[in-house]
Amino acid sequence: MAIKLTTYINQKVSIAPLVIFRIAFGALMFISISRFILKGWVYNMYVAPKMFFPFYGFEWVKPLPEAGMYIVFGALLFASLGILLGALYRFCAVVFFILFTYVELIDKTNYLNHYYFISLISFILVFLPCAKNFSFDNKFFKRTELTNIPHFFVLLPQLQMFLVYFFAGVAKINYDWLFEAQPLKMWLPAFSHYSLIGDFMEKDWVAYVFSWFGCIYDLLIGFFLFNRRTVNVAYIFVIIFHAATALFFNIGMFPYIMMTITIIFFREEFHIAAVRQLKALTGYKDETGSAYSNGLNRPLKFIFAAYFILQFVLPFRYALYDGKLFWTEQGYRFSWRVMLMEKAGTAFFYVKDNKSGREVEVDNKKYLTYMQEKMMATQPDMMVDYAKFLKQEFVKSGFTDPTVRAQSFVTLNGSGSREFIDSQIDLSAQSNSFLKNKDWVKSY
Amino acid sequence: MNYKLFIAILVICLVSCRKKGQEEEPVDPYDKQALLTNMADNVILPNYNAFKLSLDSLINAYNTFKTSELQSDYQIVKQKLHAACVNYQRISPYEFGPAETVIVRMNFNVFPTDTAQIKSNISSGVYTLDAASNLDAKGFPSLDYLFYGNNQSESAMIQLFVNSANRKQYVTDLLNDMSVKLNTVINGWNTSYHNTFVNSLGTDVGSSIGFLVNQLNFELDYLKNAKIGTPLGKKTLGIAIPDKCEAYYGAQSLQYAYETLLAIENVYLGRSKSGINGEGFDDYLIHLRAEYNGVSLNDAINNQFAVCKTKLSAIANPLSSQVTANPGVVDAAYVELVKLLVLLKTDMPSNLGVIITYQDGDGD
Repeated sequence: MAIKLTTYINQKVSIAPLVIFRIAFGALMFISISRFILKGWVYNMYVAPKMFFPFYGFEWVKPLPEAGMYIVFGALLFASLGILLGALYRFCAVVFFILFTYVELIDKTNYLNHYYFISLISFILVFLPCAKNFSFDNKFFKRTELTNIPHFFVLLPQLQMFLVYFFAGVAKINYDWLFEAQPLKMWLPAFSHYSLIGDFMEKDWVAYVFSWFGCIYDLLIGFFLFNRRTVNVAYIFVIIFHAATALFFNIGMFPYIMMTITIIFFREEFHIAAVRQLKALTGYKDETGSAYSNGLNRPLKFIFAAYFILQFVLPFRYALYDGKLFWTEQGYRFSWRVMLMEKAGTAFFYVKDNKSGREVEVDNKKYLTYMQEKMMATQPDMMVDYAKFLKQEFVKSGFTDPTVRAQSFVTLNGSGSREFIDSQIDLSAQSNSFLKNKDWVKSY
Repeated sequence: MNYKLFIAILVICLVSCRKKGQEEEPVDPYDKQALLTNMADNVILPNYNAFKLSLDSLINAYNTFKTSELQSDYQIVKQKLHAACVNYQRISPYEFGPAETVIVRMNFNVFPTDTAQIKSNISSGVYTLDAASNLDAKGFPSLDYLFYGNNQSESAMIQLFVNSANRKQYVTDLLNDMSVKLNTVINGWNTSYHNTFVNSLGTDVGSSIGFLVNQLNFELDYLKNAKIGTPLGKKTLGIAIPDKCEAYYGAQSLQYAYETLLAIENVYLGRSKSGINGEGFDDYLIHLRAEYNGVSLNDAINNQFAVCKTKLSAIANPLSSQVTANPGVVDAAYVELVKLLVLLKTDMPSNLGVIITYQDGDGD
């Protein structure tokens, strides 16, 4: 078994899939980041807010002043191009990974599974020899084109994508999704005005079909993509699935990113032909010069063994906490729980001056952006962050030993809103440590 | 074997889910265009037109008073001012499309008004009403101050106009500013926006339903906070601030608050200017079979509207004295408005698939 695995990962395969992967990823990131900037989101998300919601343990990650944030996004554009062209590839991959992850760590309001995915893929890209064929680097440094690499390198992004799909499927195995067809039953009717399909959008059976198809698709697609004989048919399903998500959900570039980079699973003949065509198209002449090793070493294997073990464990950490996962959201993030629930809430915060014993109601709009207020209203850890921020603000404005409480009403999958947290506890004194259970969230 | 088992499970699930005794699934999908058409043709435009009529009538009455300087004419102006302000409350929740471009709320109803700024504008006679610094020196709150003043007799107030051409001109300019802006809005609806509005059938940010739901909630939040909560001292350690009431000088805060609630209800119900309950969010929620902890969500919302009306009516006039004399009664109304806000801001959008935000972004 161990020997078979070693043979499997050391097997010589073509480098072409990685070359195509690099080009596709670089191009998609260039488009996504340009779109992000053009939509004004750099300002909305990283300049306009008066406070930011840090991830636990990453409170030291702070946004830069406005110009700095734009420089970061500019650098991300250059790094995307570097990855695309294979120009100073490794440097660009490192820069991309660090800056992208930095931006995502600033404020968990903006956490999206697909941003997390991009951080992970760019981390993997740092270690892949993607630019050792058909690249500017080969031209600059007069390096021989590398044609074969250990299978290990192609497997890394494949395995990552497999995990995303598989865990997204596992997450859908829950009562609400399968047996109530929620939240799709609530979301689909909003599209009843679509031509052709609109008439079906309010039918319960359609919501069930979508739910079950989505769940089975996610669970199985990775296996079919890995299989040489089924990959082509599987890819048709990938297109259908992501086209449907693009049609129904406001998820920006993500469907297109997935559709495009899933081609890493295609047979290598496809990639070899594609690279050959691209070379012909650009008039690229293979370099001959100094050669280099394939780059696979023991530490690398250990790094990625640990990496994937962590990836496997994270989605299950929720089991360590009390309460219904969708309600408390303890251990919800970083687990590929995508479009799983319809949750909305309204939260009222009160700050008490403990000298006079009197209380004020906070105008959330004064401190939070609409997006932040909306996300905070359903996520207990964000309420704690906000309460700690309010405490500081009110100390500054002369309150004595202020305490912060909140009354919050949340609806989950059309349940009817109900009180979400204990409205008497001092939220500013609570901890977001993942070692601590948030027992002040009311049971569902 | 596996797929047979799977299909068997699937069939069992679907059958068992149908058996829940839910109301029958409607045959046709909800006609969102019918809702939007009713909103535009029977709710929004008639209310804009009524507001325009009352504003024009106020301007005429004021022009009469300007020349006659008679107390009887002054009293007519005050009546017309009140009528126009009532009609204003009814259009206040429509802050999207042309109204959003004109920024109606900020130009018509920022209170408390800045009396020092008004005095300085009048004494200098030089001002740009569109300047940001004048947003709280214009609109209805300024007119309220200029016509009702602060503890002055009516004849004393009239003398202020008689003795100051600048004051007369200032009111003319304020009225004109409102009239021009309102005409721009109505014109926008009558030209292209009507068509845009009734044909935007999505529920996302920037769709007509998204606008209606968000603005309805903005208005309710404004009612709860600015009109009731702030004067009651919710932001000031429970210490009431009577002069932060809307229409503080004319002491009509409560009626305007009540009108605001009705205006919100008009949008919710799709209730026409003439009082006919047409296609609205109530019908949409019923169609979607939206539930709220065991009852229909529409029933819960209607019930809460009724409770809020009762509690607002229970407050004696004027609000500015009640926030200190009977804060408990005011607070009771406040508490009910909070509950209504939760229903309209959390439960309703969730069931409609509307995102409560004005900010565009990706989801996942």
